[in-house]
Amino acid sequence: MSEWLESAISRGHQIDDWLAPKRTQAIDLLSTTPWPTRKTEAWRYTSLRAVQNSKAHEIETKTNLLPEHITNLSAIELVFVNGKLDKQQLPDVLPKGLSISLGSDLNKEQQSQALANFSDIKPKRHLFGLVNDALAQDVVIVNVEDGFNIKQPLRISSLLSLGAESHTRVQVTLGKESHLAVIEDVQAEGDSLCTAFVEYQVSAKAHLEHYRFALQTGSNVAVGGCHFNLLDHSSMHSTIVAFGSDLSRLDTDIIHSGEFVDAKLNAIYLLDGNELFDLHATVEHAMPNGTTEENVRCIVAGRSKAVFNGRIHIHRDAQKTLAELNNRNLLMTNTAEINTKPELEIYADDVRCAHGATSAQVDKQALYYLQTRGIDRAKASVMLNFGFINELIDLMPNTVLSEWIRPIIRNRFSAMEVK
Amino acid sequence: MSNTKSLLTIKDLYAGIEEKQIIKGFNLDIKPGEVHAIMGPNGAGKSTMGYVLSGRDGYEVESGSVTFNGQNLLEMEIEERANAGLFLAFQYPVEIPGVSNLEFLKASVDAVRAANGEEAISSSELLKQAKAACKQVDLPLAFLKRGVNEGFSGGEKKRNELMQMLLLKPKLCILDETDSGLDIDALQLVAKGVNSQRSEDRSFIIVTHYQRLLDYIKPDFVHVLADGKIVKSGDASLALELESQGYAWLENGNVEAKIEG
Ligand SMILES: Nc1ncnc2c1ncn2[C@@H]1O[C@H](COP(=O)(O)OP(=O)(O)OP(=O)(O)O)[C@@H](O)[C@H]1O
Ligand SMILES: [Mg+2]
Repeated sequence: MSEWLESAISRGHQIDDWLAPKRTQAIDLLSTTPWPTRKTEAWRYTSLRAVQNSKAHEIETKTNLLPEHITNLSAIELVFVNGKLDKQQLPDVLPKGLSISLGSDLNKEQQSQALANFSDIKPKRHLFGLVNDALAQDVVIVNVEDGFNIKQPLRISSLLSLGAESHTRVQVTLGKESHLAVIEDVQAEGDSLCTAFVEYQVSAKAHLEHYRFALQTGSNVAVGGCHFNLLDHSSMHSTIVAFGSDLSRLDTDIIHSGEFVDAKLNAIYLLDGNELFDLHATVEHAMPNGTTEENVRCIVAGRSKAVFNGRIHIHRDAQKTLAELNNRNLLMTNTAEINTKPELEIYADDVRCAHGATSAQVDKQALYYLQTRGIDRAKASVMLNFGFINELIDLMPNTVLSEWIRPIIRNRFSAMEVK
Repeated sequence: MSNTKSLLTIKDLYAGIEEKQIIKGFNLDIKPGEVHAIMGPNGAGKSTMGYVLSGRDGYEVESGSVTFNGQNLLEMEIEERANAGLFLAFQYPVEIPGVSNLEFLKASVDAVRAANGEEAISSSELLKQAKAACKQVDLPLAFLKRGVNEGFSGGEKKRNELMQMLLLKPKLCILDETDSGLDIDALQLVAKGVNSQRSEDRSFIIVTHYQRLLDYIKPDFVHVLADGKIVKSGDASLALELESQGYAWLENGNVEAKIEG
């Protein structure tokens, strides 16, 4: 076992709060889990050296950090500063039907309910998910009552000052026929380490619109997860935008626990320098008549490294499943690396399932068309390559967010082009 | 007229794709300001001619010459041809998801301006011009934000081609069946678009199957293209003749004899 994990375990032992039973469970599992090596399938292409060497530590003193402003976005801001919920940044009045509370502030009865739900969706196999169970500083519970459509998006930001370590946890429940949009992002000043996990319970006929912006770069180490449990006739639309850092890893689990669930996941990676981003996306079709559409597109330059593992598991009872996984990658330099692995496991017979992983080739016809309009070949290829990512930005349901992120991505892409 | 310099001169052109000869001895001379209509049966090589002139990959010229505005067109890159003032409105415009129409128009207008030693257009000026062009071809403004031709209907794609023509102000516009798939109103719109652009220093090649369009756009010449070459040329009345007779007279191979006789 690594020193880092040993220290995490001993720190976990010292926390005595309402979550103690869950922390103990996690610690027990962690104690018997070997530290991943290159032979560990889930970490095959992603080294944990950055975690082992991290000097980041929990910072107790209160720091004032504000989330980066998103032009034209009016969101309910849920801000963690170095792992602690900054209550002052929460609005005084929340929209009707929405509640946000700190786990430790709940009454006994509410806590026992929260305890029962805690880590119920996130699978136990995620090592850092267990670390988060054991070390979560503040656990925030978000609830949308049945039938409420919350128009304002909820933005969950995790802010870290230089050298900080944080473990944030949010449990989101969407009641029946409700609607909520959630934006998750991490902003860090350097040499930081965070685990940020969110579990989503999406009740019958509810709709979740979800975004995760993993734009932290450099020496900011981040390992996190988004885990979705979807009940009958519910739906979700998720967009992940990631730059890389010394280590940036995200695990998502989309679980079709009810029938007629519709799930969409679009992920964009844009990596440069020595950056790494690793997405492990698992979809469990446990029930019939579900649909999943997954689009993952990576552009990698420099000596960066993209890892994508897309697993779709169609259980025996999940008849009439429609699942599609599409992964397209673009290597800008041959020193960059893309490791991609689609895994389809199908145990039902009446399903339609497709996957494709391709290196994006510039579409010759499109190139010709642009050239006939006077645009030179080099510029036309750039436009098409950017278009390849932009297509997924166009699919973001919230246009305020797409208009905000588009120029950010464009700038990063232009910088990649120059080299 | 006769001493005016030609804008486009095609001499004895033989060209094709993948060893298949499609253009077989094509001759055409276009002076500035002229409108030429090209008609002819399916598969005659009309679109191929446009591809060859635009420089599309895979289209090989075996022999012959093409001079455009005094330059050897066949030696130029695709984009150089465009920047020199050649514009091809496609029979089947390409969809490019992810690249917005407006972004595309800006890149295109800027490329042509750069070739003429002009500065890039400001975004606000481009938007102004693009809005005016949209209005002229009756394309809702929302189409500027969409991906290039992405999910456009057949007719909308054609309007989008015309809009580009309006913005780029080329010297030679080749319209490949821009009238196909258009409703009657749209047909008049295409005609208006073309007529508004007619000028002493702009020429047109209009490929069409329908005499109808030529009621609105009076061509100076009408040519019949069959099996890779022009088999008959005349004035606007030839289109009317074709409308009533069809192309049956082309059959049996002995084309020249039939026309003369
Ligand atoms: N890639 C190709 N390989 C082989 N033959 C081709 C290819 N592209 C076109 N052709 C052939 O070349 C001939 C000319 O085609 P072209 O598209 O130029 O005809 P057209 O006159 O534009 O017809 P239409 O009126 O139907 O548009 C046709 O017989 C066509 O099948
Ligand atoms: Mg054609």
